[in-house]
Amino acid sequence: MLLPKESVQDMAKDVTYICPYIGALRGTLTVTNYRLFFRCMDREPAFVLDLPLGVVSRVEKIGGASSRGEVSYGLVCKDIRNLRFAHKQMEDSLRKSIFEILMKFAFPVSNGLPIFAFEYGQVYPENGWKVYDAQAEYKRQGIPNESWRITKVNDHYEVCDTYPSNLVVPVNIPDEELKRVAAFRAKGRIPVLSWIHPESQATVTRCSQPMVGVNGKRSKDDEKYLQAIMDANAQSHKLFIFDARPSVNAAANKMKGGGYESEDAYQNAELVFLDIHNIHVMRESLRKLKEVVYPNIEESHWLSNLESTHWLEHIKLILAGALRIADKVESGKTSVVVHCSDGWDRTAQLTSLAMLMLDGHYRTIRGFQVLLEKEWLSFGHRFQLRIGHGDKNHTDADRSPVFLQFIDCVWQIARQFPAAFEFNEYFLVTILDHMYSCLFGTFMCNSEQQRVKEELPKKTVSLWAYINSQLEEFTNPLYVNYSNHVLFPVVSMRHLELWVGYYIRWNPRMRPQEPVHQRYKELLAKRAELQKRVEELQRDVTNRSASSTERAGSPTRSITPVQTFV
Amino acid sequence: MFSVKPLKPTFKSYLLPVQTDLKQTPQPPIKKLEAKLLPGEIVVNEVSFVRKCIGADSSHGDLWGKLICTNFKVSFITHDALPKQRFQVANRLLGEHDVPLACVEQVVTVNDAKGKQKVLCSNQKLKFNPTELVLYCKDFRIIRFRFDEAGPQSAKKVCLAIAHYSQPADPQLLFGFEYIGKQYYGSLGERVNGVDPGGGLQMPLFDRPSEWDREIKRTGAAEWRVCSINEGYVVSPSLPEYVVVPVSLADQDLKQYLCFFTAHRIPLWCWNHPNGSALVRMASISDPLQQRKLDQRICSAITKSHPQRSDVLKSDLDKNLPNIQDIQAAFVKVRQICVIEPFEESEEKWLSSMESSRWLEYVRAFLKHSAEVVYLLEGKHVSVILQEEEDRDLSCVVSSLVQLMLDPHFRSLTGFQSLVQKEWVMAGHRFLHRCNHLKKNDKEESPLFQLFLDCVWQIINQYPAAFEFTETYLTVLSDSMWIPVFSTFLFNCPQQRTENSMDFAKSKCIPMGEEKALRFPPVWDWSQQFTPKDQALFNNPMYVGKGATCVQNGTVKSFRRTKKNYSSTLRGMPSSLRNILMDGHDSLTLTRRNSLVPRLKPDFSQIREVVESPTERFFRDWVSRPADLQGMLIPQLLPSHLALWRLYFLRWVPEASIPKGGPVTAYHKLSQLADEVEKLQSQLRQYKGATPASTPTSNPSAPPSDHSRMYFKAGSTHEPSSIPEYLSSSFPFSPVGNMCRRSILGTPLSKFLNGAKTWLSTETLANEAL
Repeated sequence: MLLPKESVQDMAKDVTYICPYIGALRGTLTVTNYRLFFRCMDREPAFVLDLPLGVVSRVEKIGGASSRGEVSYGLVCKDIRNLRFAHKQMEDSLRKSIFEILMKFAFPVSNGLPIFAFEYGQVYPENGWKVYDAQAEYKRQGIPNESWRITKVNDHYEVCDTYPSNLVVPVNIPDEELKRVAAFRAKGRIPVLSWIHPESQATVTRCSQPMVGVNGKRSKDDEKYLQAIMDANAQSHKLFIFDARPSVNAAANKMKGGGYESEDAYQNAELVFLDIHNIHVMRESLRKLKEVVYPNIEESHWLSNLESTHWLEHIKLILAGALRIADKVESGKTSVVVHCSDGWDRTAQLTSLAMLMLDGHYRTIRGFQVLLEKEWLSFGHRFQLRIGHGDKNHTDADRSPVFLQFIDCVWQIARQFPAAFEFNEYFLVTILDHMYSCLFGTFMCNSEQQRVKEELPKKTVSLWAYINSQLEEFTNPLYVNYSNHVLFPVVSMRHLELWVGYYIRWNPRMRPQEPVHQRYKELLAKRAELQKRVEELQRDVTNRSASSTERAGSPTRSITPVQTFV
Repeated sequence: MFSVKPLKPTFKSYLLPVQTDLKQTPQPPIKKLEAKLLPGEIVVNEVSFVRKCIGADSSHGDLWGKLICTNFKVSFITHDALPKQRFQVANRLLGEHDVPLACVEQVVTVNDAKGKQKVLCSNQKLKFNPTELVLYCKDFRIIRFRFDEAGPQSAKKVCLAIAHYSQPADPQLLFGFEYIGKQYYGSLGERVNGVDPGGGLQMPLFDRPSEWDREIKRTGAAEWRVCSINEGYVVSPSLPEYVVVPVSLADQDLKQYLCFFTAHRIPLWCWNHPNGSALVRMASISDPLQQRKLDQRICSAITKSHPQRSDVLKSDLDKNLPNIQDIQAAFVKVRQICVIEPFEESEEKWLSSMESSRWLEYVRAFLKHSAEVVYLLEGKHVSVILQEEEDRDLSCVVSSLVQLMLDPHFRSLTGFQSLVQKEWVMAGHRFLHRCNHLKKNDKEESPLFQLFLDCVWQIINQYPAAFEFTETYLTVLSDSMWIPVFSTFLFNCPQQRTENSMDFAKSKCIPMGEEKALRFPPVWDWSQQFTPKDQALFNNPMYVGKGATCVQNGTVKSFRRTKKNYSSTLRGMPSSLRNILMDGHDSLTLTRRNSLVPRLKPDFSQIREVVESPTERFFRDWVSRPADLQGMLIPQLLPSHLALWRLYFLRWVPEASIPKGGPVTAYHKLSQLADEVEKLQSQLRQYKGATPASTPTSNPSAPPSDHSRMYFKAGSTHEPSSIPEYLSSSFPFSPVGNMCRRSILGTPLSKFLNGAKTWLSTETLANEAL
């Protein structure tokens, strides 16, 4: 049952797991360098809890030894669970409690240990690190073309250390000017192309906020640069700048040197604020959501309790922003620039969701992997900080469920378009689970530069290697690859739902199933079987009629082949 | 194309307005606009040059035509086509823009120059000439007409006529009487004696003893018998003529007991579990002195009818469930939120508004109560009596839901229809009053049946392969309540149908012959409303198994599995739990206590013991195993697992319609695959049936004729390159032109960009009026 390089660190018998649904369960607890494993044999079937330590956000010893001499430990998890254990205080006080061992391996970064992903050496048929090739992806989009080029100016991450090495910029802006633009954009994150419309040439570009400051500083280079982005699209004489933040927040950023584009400085540009709140608001919202959904949901005030978390409201604002971007590009044939403050949280959500609506390629399993690698990983969404891999500092203000929100939004769109995605719900849940598990290298580090430096592709396995080795499990059988199908989801509370398959999955009353998919697969199997039988019979008939015609000497009667539907 | 709306469904291909104009240049001579009338239908009033509003803020796309009020419907006849690609399933009794008068909830007239508005009722006067008419419909549509170019007097007359005729003074003024009556005049010569009112229906209507007998045999209820003491409705007007009672109760006993029951409604057998437990419904005992004795007699008779002589538990529905006024209030609120309140404004507090409407809470309460009864029948092997004051409202919902959860037969289309026939129509649910067809007594109006359909939808939503029919079927069934020609929804009980028929026949000199009632078709005769092709929309491509064959000689194979589980987990249950339901201390109480226990907070301050009732454990055990769709089905009852039935509540709201999306896109794909499987099966049959000599005529590879159950047929060998335009989350309905609100033609975001706060005066009016 152990993974390669996984080793047992400690084991304790007579540990009690206090299950919020079933009650106290007594069993054996094992801690390895990768997971926590609890098994209770008293029940039929045996109760098992199997939890990667990466999921643990905090371990707490609760109170002192009770009258029965038991100590309690609580585990707060990143995946909407809290676990609670109790066990006897060791007679031998020199021996460490199993939970102290657990703490050591749950937070390897804080304890000077390697994250398990660096040890795990499972070999998969495919090298997942090769899924994304920036140049190939840009080529798929038709880039370079007459208006856009791939620049090597950031090859050594010198212009912007949180950006990828391959950047797509307007043809007529030389690299020297790019550097001057970088000076005017927060963290040097200049506007670069994320996606181009194959017909209208309208583009989605992303960046960070301009360093306007309280004095309303301007940059001729930046203004010229945005004009060049607009000019690259002959269909429209306008450029839309979507600032993901609420206008108040954007204005407040001026105090810190940031801000937003004034319409005076940027002629032909229209600025729109999308009112999406910052990482701290989102973290708080998820905390409240967890309180409402775990372990039990209160029966009488479910909907108002859910409303009070504002979680779905945030989801709605993000989706609404992405929809506006997609609509502007698709229906308005207008290029858009998207940014927030640094351009690695809300911006990543918005560009990737808009691209998902606009481009069916990203709705395939591999295409979605490319989308994540590109818009999230290569453009420097700070996974290490936002998730806090292996770090015991659970109160770190940099932690935030930004990526979870994005996956939630994807699930919401897939709910509305059940045949438009090649992947299923299990695929999304698996991505989230392994973002926390620290088994794969995919979500390690904060930027491409760090990943290169840590040699992640060499030292760790990519999540995509695992997923692509068993695609069947992650495939939506209902998927139809309609060409040019742009998705315009209805962004309304009337259609948004809490993702129960993720947030409420620990509740044993929740039945995890995909009956529609299952039924479709059954029908597919039945069709295959019937086709086989029909073909067999048809062969018989053909043979028979062939032999009979031989005898009769009449011309061969042609039998129309059975139509097969593939 | 320029004639009156054809009755066949048409996919109107939408061409851009410019192109349409080009193609239309040589205008064909305009044909006269005339109402298409059914037998017995007459035009009351009409007005020309009326504009039907499609967009809310501009007249763009509006339709010009004639507005007609008949004794059956409000009809709008136009030459214009709707401005957008749309699909609307066509009804044989109604034109594209028609609304039956019985479907009109409220008639509102407006004069915007004078700033006046009035909700019109029957026999009222109108002091101003209306410039606008808004119809609020029972099926949630809101339709607006403008009279700017119309003759003011005729417009006024039509409005008054609509208001008057939508509130008939007498049940016999409901259109069904004229309509059916006409058939007696028209086809006297060709009338066949003793025509079954169900036409060629292959399902029991439970109006004859043999059908009850068959149901007794089907469920293996050996100790129960058909009793005919109510033949001719002599003992109780609201009961069916034939009822099923325990064998041990003689007619004499029943005659003696019946006067003690409210409205003489003696206990009615509903269904038998394969383990012998029975489901029985009964009215309350009106005489308190007799209560104890009678209770004992009834219970002991039911116990005697149980092979294991198991106990009988009584479930008091009035005590445990919301009453009909509560349900009506919830329905009004949910409608308010879904279709009347401005879309964007209601977004903000959507969830809490939904909660405060209490609709989903009530849906859940009924599902939960029914599931608890299921536990008693299945898990505790006891018989259950559902008791309600009159046994004509809540019992209908609960008894039908229990049977749906326990017996897969009722999840087939005919099984479901026979269930409604048995537990609603025959059991005397007051459809006439609950639908408020006469709009006389608003206090009697209550959407019990809609609530039941919503409960069924929740189960379908959780177990999409377990039912033979679709949510479209349920929606269409609900809409049929507002077409007043079906025996199913016109009366308060079967006796009323007979009585009204006789009166009407007498007054119109209709020769009834041997017949006891006019031959109103039941709604189950779907060919009255839809073409066979459109009826295919009712079929669920995912349906597993042909339900009807599952119960044979009283044994259901698939039940065995579950039975074993319960006997092992529930042995040794304290007997004190037995009377849980009787005292009303069901698990609702337990869970309420549960929720007061503080949740496990991250600080882990308390340890608590988990309180789990036997019912909850029963449900949890069941959930932990894979569901057998041909066995017992228990819906998941966490509030998070109940959803708003979007097709039903939101189908007319343009802003809520997902273009090229919604569950129908999966249904589309599944139907095509199911159709391929069917085609292959039929090919296989043809191969097997064909002898080598008979080849040329029955070429097995020729596609079989259109016997397919599927609406969407397997197409060509290649995948379609684009998704059909007419698919939307509202399919097979179309919100276009049905709401007098802001339209969202063009980009899906116009509502964002233009600001969504512009709402019409009528919206505010609606708030005042309701």
